[in-house]
Amino acid sequence: MENYTKYKLKGSDELAPFLQEADQIFVVACNKCFKEFETVEEPDLDAFLAMAEAQGKTVIGSAKVDFLCNKTLTEKQWKDLVPEGTKSVFAVSCGLGVQTVADISGLTTYAAANSLNYRGHHGMALTKKACDACAQCYLNVTGGICPVVDCQKSLLNGQCGGAKNGKCEVDPDKDCAWERIYNKLKEQGRLEEFLAQPVQTRDYSRINHKVIQDYVKASRENRLDGYYGGVHPSENKEYSEHIPLVRFPEPETVVIPLSQHAGAPANPAVEVGDYVKVGQKIGTSAGFISANIHASVSGTVEAVEPRLHPTKGGDVLSVVIRSDGKDIPDDSIKPRENIEDLTPDEIVNIVNENGIVGMGGAGFPTYVKLKPGKPIDAVLLNGCECEPYLTADHRVLLEFADDVICGLKLVMKAVAAPKGIIVIEDNKPDAIELLTEKTKDIDNIEVVSAKTKYPQGAEKMLIKRVMGRQVPSGKLPADVGACVCNISSVKAIADAVCKGMPLTERVVTVTGEKIAKPGNYIVKIGTSVNELIKYCGGLTSDDVLIKMGGPMMGFPLPDTEVPVLKSTNGIIAINTDSTTPVECIKCGRCVDVCPMELKPLYFQKYADEGKWQEMLDMNVRDCIECRCCEYICSSKIPLVTKIKNGKAEVMKLLKK
Amino acid sequence: MKITECFDRGEFVVTAEVGPPKGINIDPVVAEAKEYLSGITAVNVTDCQSSVMRIGSLATCKVLKDAGLTPIYQLTCRDRNRIALQSDLLSAAMLGIENVLALTGDHTKLGDHPQAKPVFDLDSVSLLHTMKLLESGVDLGGNALVGEPPKFAKGAVVSPCSDSVDVQLAKMERKVMAGAEYFQTQAVYEPEKFIEFMETAKQFGRPVQLGIVLLKNAGMAKFMNKNVAGIHVPDEMIAELAADKEKAKSGETGVKIAAEIIKACKPYCQGVHIMALGWESKVPEILKLAGL
Amino acid sequence: MLITQIKDKEAIASAIKGKIFIINCHGCKEVHFPETQAKEIEKEWCDEGIVTGILTTDYICNPENLALRLEKHRAEIEEADTVLVLSCGVGVQTVAEYLGNKRVCAACDTYPLPGGQGVTPLEYDCDQCGECWLNLTGGICPITACSKSLVNGQCGGSKNGKCEVDPDMECGWERIYRRLAQLGRLDVLKTPVHIHNFATDLEVGKE
Repeated sequence: MENYTKYKLKGSDELAPFLQEADQIFVVACNKCFKEFETVEEPDLDAFLAMAEAQGKTVIGSAKVDFLCNKTLTEKQWKDLVPEGTKSVFAVSCGLGVQTVADISGLTTYAAANSLNYRGHHGMALTKKACDACAQCYLNVTGGICPVVDCQKSLLNGQCGGAKNGKCEVDPDKDCAWERIYNKLKEQGRLEEFLAQPVQTRDYSRINHKVIQDYVKASRENRLDGYYGGVHPSENKEYSEHIPLVRFPEPETVVIPLSQHAGAPANPAVEVGDYVKVGQKIGTSAGFISANIHASVSGTVEAVEPRLHPTKGGDVLSVVIRSDGKDIPDDSIKPRENIEDLTPDEIVNIVNENGIVGMGGAGFPTYVKLKPGKPIDAVLLNGCECEPYLTADHRVLLEFADDVICGLKLVMKAVAAPKGIIVIEDNKPDAIELLTEKTKDIDNIEVVSAKTKYPQGAEKMLIKRVMGRQVPSGKLPADVGACVCNISSVKAIADAVCKGMPLTERVVTVTGEKIAKPGNYIVKIGTSVNELIKYCGGLTSDDVLIKMGGPMMGFPLPDTEVPVLKSTNGIIAINTDSTTPVECIKCGRCVDVCPMELKPLYFQKYADEGKWQEMLDMNVRDCIECRCCEYICSSKIPLVTKIKNGKAEVMKLLKK
Repeated sequence: MKITECFDRGEFVVTAEVGPPKGINIDPVVAEAKEYLSGITAVNVTDCQSSVMRIGSLATCKVLKDAGLTPIYQLTCRDRNRIALQSDLLSAAMLGIENVLALTGDHTKLGDHPQAKPVFDLDSVSLLHTMKLLESGVDLGGNALVGEPPKFAKGAVVSPCSDSVDVQLAKMERKVMAGAEYFQTQAVYEPEKFIEFMETAKQFGRPVQLGIVLLKNAGMAKFMNKNVAGIHVPDEMIAELAADKEKAKSGETGVKIAAEIIKACKPYCQGVHIMALGWESKVPEILKLAGL
Repeated sequence: MLITQIKDKEAIASAIKGKIFIINCHGCKEVHFPETQAKEIEKEWCDEGIVTGILTTDYICNPENLALRLEKHRAEIEEADTVLVLSCGVGVQTVAEYLGNKRVCAACDTYPLPGGQGVTPLEYDCDQCGECWLNLTGGICPITACSKSLVNGQCGGSKNGKCEVDPDMECGWERIYRRLAQLGRLDVLKTPVHIHNFATDLEVGKE
């Protein structure tokens, strides 16, 4: 079998009458799937064009498309592909592609190829015929050898009389399956069991087209609900979602990096030996995209020196403070009165002054978002927490609902938005209920329940889902009239505005199957991750993967002697995995799940080949690094690493 | 008459086989059967043998029965799903055809319509099971039959000289479990192998008829060795056939070999089943020479 | 790409023997994996104390990565009498092959989803029959759109444009006829009698 191609061009004799009657022909060819991804384009189109030419037919246009059967993506590009005046279409594709074209085009559509009969070749690649999906698995009674596929007659009760020299009567090169089954059962000492079982008969009613149709429909709804793509990893939130917040004990020492945000690191504002109080500024914002840093404990500055940073891959200038255990607040911290009288600019200034950044992971300075310079139709409060395991935002919603609503109102005022929408995934029904109740008398705030799908919490996905608006490539949420804020961030805004307290602590989920006692904690910024884990009963095994953040976008922590940051929503200790990347088999799943509608398989190919311009042309910069492609990749290719590398090379290319 | 009654009486049961023609004239087959096979217990009628399309087995059975013979209705699972199979079984019973031999059937790809869809909805085991169900008054779908249920003498086949005889025995055991009351075997040319097989097979307590395929010439023997499952003709027999071409052609050699095998195996089995493949006229000679 | 459904509890119970090691395959989870059901039933077994370990992973049909992942659980697998696999038939067979003489059992039935190749299925459209009929049917597949996979036209079972097998399903030949009429191509219905060829797997069968 050569390169398990999915279809084969029909013969020219067979196609001749169809070519003869067709007029104004457009030809579309699928680049195939489930094959070793060697060439970008397939030769079948040219072969067909040659055939048409030999028959004296002029073709008015042609195109090669990836995964022609992906109706959503094919439909989007269809108009640009088809020339004006096209009357008939020839599809060089498997039957799925042909029908997709027939449905989309509304034109007479011809199949130029036959799908090859791959019945039984399920599984990831078409390397081996192993399962016919009979709906009635017999492997339990046959020692794990499939009688349906491996026996030509799909016999279920034993060998027929046709076996000769252990070979099948139909194909003498093939071992008789029942010979193999018999031997395997004998080796396993299971012959008795085989002989004693009741007579096996196939139940063909299990192959129910209605069931299949319903399934496919549900699967489509699941996948395309709200926005294209996305995945549904195991949520694993049950470890910690029900555990109320607990204040983590005062740490002895905190290590506070001066870079916990996107943009320039803050400049140190203290020296070794200084006595600092809680909320005192110890680092000063160093530019437009930067943020102030504040002390989270009261005590003495022990060092201002580079320390290991959890997410930046190296040492970063940090302020080390030994706590005096007194937790004395800075004199500047006072509850504010007349909050209603604050102007939008005053709110933005408070947010900037108090070092508030996006606490969902990215750490983008929040005050920048609050000066969009464009009309904002709605503030979206992101309560999705779509990362598996994490429950920090969930707990904040439940336990600080009033603060969250207060913060949202402040943001709405700052950006002059007429409307606020709190979006919560439907796996948090208690939070939806509580917030709905709390906001029922507020006219311009609405609670939306969103069907759980990762990466719903990504800004662009959230906007698509809630407002139905597409943020164009290279643009920001403000360009479509949206401002998206994280739950913990608005809680911090409420604290800063109402209590005058800068961002010095946050809620962190410590969880995972390898943590003895999972929980949700209010933790001072700069607290050691190692202490956090110890406090939670430590790890249950040495074979563990520890990440800061969720399993999808979190950062692996090879060394846990690192501090909790403003953007640390969780510490997870989970099972390790050991895999090795194998060749891309063009299964198309990465294209299927990419919420940005990109083609990640090309990125890994181009990254390996150093084709940066091609990567740029395929919009690699739109990638939000959500890791859906890597999660779904059947070849276990580290796609995001390759994409990040590619993005860096593309930046160099652009600078030239 | 049920063939099982003969076994019960302790008779050494002799049966032979006829193949319906590809065409609608059945008269020569009936005439030949009447002339040469009237003396034996029963006559098997094949069901599109080797997946080659012919007149149906059931219709032929009816014609032979009307001509005074006792037919055995061979029924394969290749061409019919469970509905057709059960329907045909009821039809047979309605026509007074009580002897049924349940087979899985050759694969369609081996016959003269390789494009045909192989059905294999049931197999020989589940077909026997189905017959048993029908006899109890319900069909495979669990529905009650109207009126008196049919009664069959349920036969099955086995290959004693198969190169994987253990696997065959396992299947045989399952056939017994599913309701097989007697067995006919694939052609035997090596009595010692058959005797060894019967040592194990006798524990199932079901009568076994030795299978005989009449050898016409050395070429046929070689062909079967190469292509037909469960058959092995020893070299000395092939040499014997090749030695005197005239004797082989007249059937004398084949008949002699068949009779010798029967004589050697008779103490170990309960009957013999002769597949003459067109040489039905030789059957009486074989029986005479074997002393039956 | 594959749909799996957990077998009846009784059916699984009769298959397993002694202690069990469980493998969950989430590779095709975006299509379907009965996760909640699986967790429930696995918890019951854990409570019974018969589970030596659970491995939840993906694409166990990839033998290389399966080997790497199973090796880590060697001791737990050895301790178990049965390895119970929750995956499609391909996965179960890959595990059975790798573990040799270990008793490997399937906890799921695999439902046929032809046409799901390529991308996660959006439509049930192509049965990979190997002899594409779409040129004669206006681009609607008679194999999948008709319950009987008829290729010569509508049967007598269509009632009110619906299929006799499933009254919620539109008669495929009704759809084909409509599409052909729309395209002005009813003439293709006059082509000679069509007969299926079920031997098209020969082409890929010979590897």
